[in-house]
Amino acid sequence: MAANNRSANLNVQHRKGFVLAWVFGMVALLLAPAAIATKYDVNAPTGTHEGEDVAQPIEFPHNIHVKDNGINCMYCHTYARRSKVAGIPPTSKCMGCHKVIATDKPRIKKLTEFWTNKTPPPWKKVHDLPDFVHFTHEIHLKKLVFDRDFPVENVKEVCAFCHGELENMTVAKKVKPLNMGFCVGCHIANKELGAPGDCWKCHK
Amino acid sequence: MSLDNILNHWSDYRKGSEEGGHHDYEHRWAMAINLDICNGCNACSTACYAENNLAVVGKERFEKGQAMHWLRIERYWDQQDKDYPEQGASFLPMMCQHCGSATCEPVCPVAATYHTPDGLNAQVYNRCIGSRYCSNNCPFRVRYFNFYSYYESAWPEPMEQQLNPDISVRDKGVMEKCTFCVQRIRTAKDKAKMEDREVQDGEVMTACAQACPTSAIVFGDTMDENSVVSKLWKKHQVERGVYAKTKLAKKDKDLRGYRIFEELNVDPSVMYLDRVREDI
Repeated sequence: MAANNRSANLNVQHRKGFVLAWVFGMVALLLAPAAIATKYDVNAPTGTHEGEDVAQPIEFPHNIHVKDNGINCMYCHTYARRSKVAGIPPTSKCMGCHKVIATDKPRIKKLTEFWTNKTPPPWKKVHDLPDFVHFTHEIHLKKLVFDRDFPVENVKEVCAFCHGELENMTVAKKVKPLNMGFCVGCHIANKELGAPGDCWKCHK
Repeated sequence: MSLDNILNHWSDYRKGSEEGGHHDYEHRWAMAINLDICNGCNACSTACYAENNLAVVGKERFEKGQAMHWLRIERYWDQQDKDYPEQGASFLPMMCQHCGSATCEPVCPVAATYHTPDGLNAQVYNRCIGSRYCSNNCPFRVRYFNFYSYYESAWPEPMEQQLNPDISVRDKGVMEKCTFCVQRIRTAKDKAKMEDREVQDGEVMTACAQACPTSAIVFGDTMDENSVVSKLWKKHQVERGVYAKTKLAKKDKDLRGYRIFEELNVDPSVMYLDRVREDI
């Protein structure tokens, strides 16, 4: 009985140690992005949203591209740093790789079919802002990445502010509310960096 | 954005020019319209319709005073006692004057209209509840109310393709007015920001100024001393916040600048240059 108790105590202690190590590990992980030396820090927006699954013509796996292959968001969404919209990449961009890579997979076969038929896949918009909102990707990227000397290879951490961790999703899903409170909250938190608070900056 | 925030900062947007106005201006967009070379062709008004998704209301509603033209040409007869060809028509393009101490702003019960740091008199459509106080308090009568859901009928297919995506199509029950083409200002400012510089003079051109065949309309920033508008204002001795301007002797024909209803202390941002007439 006593022995049993002792072993139970030991177990608890052991577990405590494990938990502590785990907590330290997580803290270290959380601090890791902060360890990147940037010119200034920004406050990320807060809020979560339970978006619906959007059925896309091809079930595009963001996780394979971002997590497994480490492709930069802006490799495909190349307009993000140059214009208002991030842009859906043209099929030619997909085919740039998939003419030779994984051509036997069913999803790629479907893609190749779209390509040979010369019809763009009818992608559906997931992060759709109302028409009365003026939002530009380029200035947000300039302020949050380029002006800040944030390493461009880690840009997905900045994209995740509004789009969630796409490295863990297949098809994109709206996981942030993207409503006025979400935008304004972040703009107030980053007021010193010049985030505007004027209604007519965004309302059009 | 809480109610607290609105209440605490309410007065920031409610200051008249005598109190320094909305004090931290980044720009003060303004216009100078030379009536001497305006020939009343209405191109500005048409351009405004195209740029700002304005609905064509039709003759009946127009007669009821429900027109939606943000920019109208007012026609006056100089010689009332004469018949048409000699009647001496003169024209005046009239749009929102973006008053520095606008009378429409303090009466809005929901702060849908307020002064931006750009010196613009903003109208936030989402916030507007359609009380129409602003319109009734505007001495220039340049605010237009959506009595109908024009988006349903004003642009039958495929005409909705002509709508400008940079400005929303207003719904029924919302007040609207000239914005000094804020979407163009926004685009120019965004571009300047991307290139780490200030907005240059001439970079922003309103649709009316662009369409004017005689270049009677000049648009720019009066905070930029080297802008064409600033120079015109200075040349004609029109100053913001100066109301009781004593008109100089009529002999000085070079001083033609005036602002409409200057004496009401509304501090308009549009300066008109009087017509030059031969002495009859």
